[in-house]
Amino acid sequence: MSRAGWLWCALLLVVVAVSCGRKNSAEVDAEVTSLGTVEVTAQVEEIPGAFPPNDLYNYAYVLKYRVLKVHRGQLPGQEILVAQYNPLKPRTTVADDVSGKVGGHVEAFRAGDIHRMALAAPVDQFWMGGIIDKYFQQPGVRYWAIWTNPGSR
Amino acid sequence: MTDRFCLWLLLLAACPPLAPGQGAPPRDPREARLAREVAGKGWIVTASRTQKGDWDLFLMRPDGTHRRDITNTPDYNEMGGRFSPDGKRILYRRIAKDVKIRHDGWGATGELVIANADGTNPQVYGPPGDFPWASWSPDGKQVACLTKTGIEIRELATKQVVRTVDRHGIYQQLFWSPDGHWFCGPANHYGESWTVVRLSADTSEVNVVAKFQNCTADWFPNSQRLIYSSRPANQEEPDGGKLAQAVKQKPGYGWTQLWMADGDGNNRSLVYGEDGRHIYGGDISPDGKYVLFTKSMTDGGIDTGIIFLMRLSDAPTIGGESIALRKLHPDAKNGPILQLSPGWEPHWTYANIGGGR
Repeated sequence: MSRAGWLWCALLLVVVAVSCGRKNSAEVDAEVTSLGTVEVTAQVEEIPGAFPPNDLYNYAYVLKYRVLKVHRGQLPGQEILVAQYNPLKPRTTVADDVSGKVGGHVEAFRAGDIHRMALAAPVDQFWMGGIIDKYFQQPGVRYWAIWTNPGSR
Repeated sequence: MTDRFCLWLLLLAACPPLAPGQGAPPRDPREARLAREVAGKGWIVTASRTQKGDWDLFLMRPDGTHRRDITNTPDYNEMGGRFSPDGKRILYRRIAKDVKIRHDGWGATGELVIANADGTNPQVYGPPGDFPWASWSPDGKQVACLTKTGIEIRELATKQVVRTVDRHGIYQQLFWSPDGHWFCGPANHYGESWTVVRLSADTSEVNVVAKFQNCTADWFPNSQRLIYSSRPANQEEPDGGKLAQAVKQKPGYGWTQLWMADGDGNNRSLVYGEDGRHIYGGDISPDGKYVLFTKSMTDGGIDTGIIFLMRLSDAPTIGGESIALRKLHPDAKNGPILQLSPGWEPHWTYANIGGGR
């Protein structure tokens, strides 16, 4: 292979590597990398029941996540409990006059999905309203999801 | 003009303000008797829409007579009037007209105002959102406020926080007991929201009064019992959901009823219920003999709220046909209940405010 050919191959490899390494803009944005005190990529382990409708009453619903990577801040373990505000609503439109700053790009919540999230704790300091927590017998911190984007491993 | 406002005008037409000295129409002689019985027993304050469309506070006698607007602020809405324990003052929220009034969240919006009980000399305490859910102390010198960081006891003279109590999951509708030893409100407990709890102001211990879909709890004068609204699960719909469809309510949603219980959660019993109506705003008279409440056609429908009064000795009472509810409470009574006026969140004092009779 000629010298030009080697150079062309090397350039192609660099482009491929950069492309594979770059996160979708729906995953990494200014909010998820700056809001709250903790930034993680985590997988929804389970959703412990059906989300109640929230056409009249707003609420937060606690989901169990398995942490895949901590990008910012510290966590006590690999499993965390995260309160999502009005989880029936897409994150792009979930913020309202009582929620404070919440949002992101996740459209819907499904067990097994991976999310990149900006979190704060404890939830009581950020949301004063109904919280459905099926893990109430499990001690530990409940995180408040400020920003929730689709994530990847 | 919004559909809600049109509905409100229709309600006003259906329930015109009564002129001084005029009693409620005696559709039932027992109602007329009840009206005469309570007519001279102090005053009720309630938020109600004016003909201009804003919410003002109105005073009226407990039979619905001598009704008068005591705030008269077309540029603001007022909500949540509560008499001080001595009946000389009143606190309420004054809310900018462009701020949405939530039936369950008004206490954290707008400014806290404290005025004389007849509405004169209104004084604003802090900016909008400050003093959230302010509730009188027994001596009227302090208020308890519900914040994210806890229940703050604030001196009215200095506006300073003098004590903070863990709120234990209570998130709205905070009320301080008349004896000063307890708080109540809906809280997040045992995994469920909308659990009415009693919280000790002295020891911070908390206990459940009623789990699952309960709210707007308020104290009996003896501080030993609570009145609250509850929407029990799995309510039967013998009409196949026609009542619900009529008000665009989802099938199986159920109807909110008025209940009472001891502070420790024992002796729960129905006070008033009616299939097809949501019952909120329970408020006990200062002598503990009567109860005020609102009926509305839709859950949270403050625009359809109408205030009613009944004797507690007539509890449980069931209104309307209520086939499903009567099946559950076969020994329920049949009132009487006295219709007063359109409104939301009534409160009652036996103090002599003046201006009537």
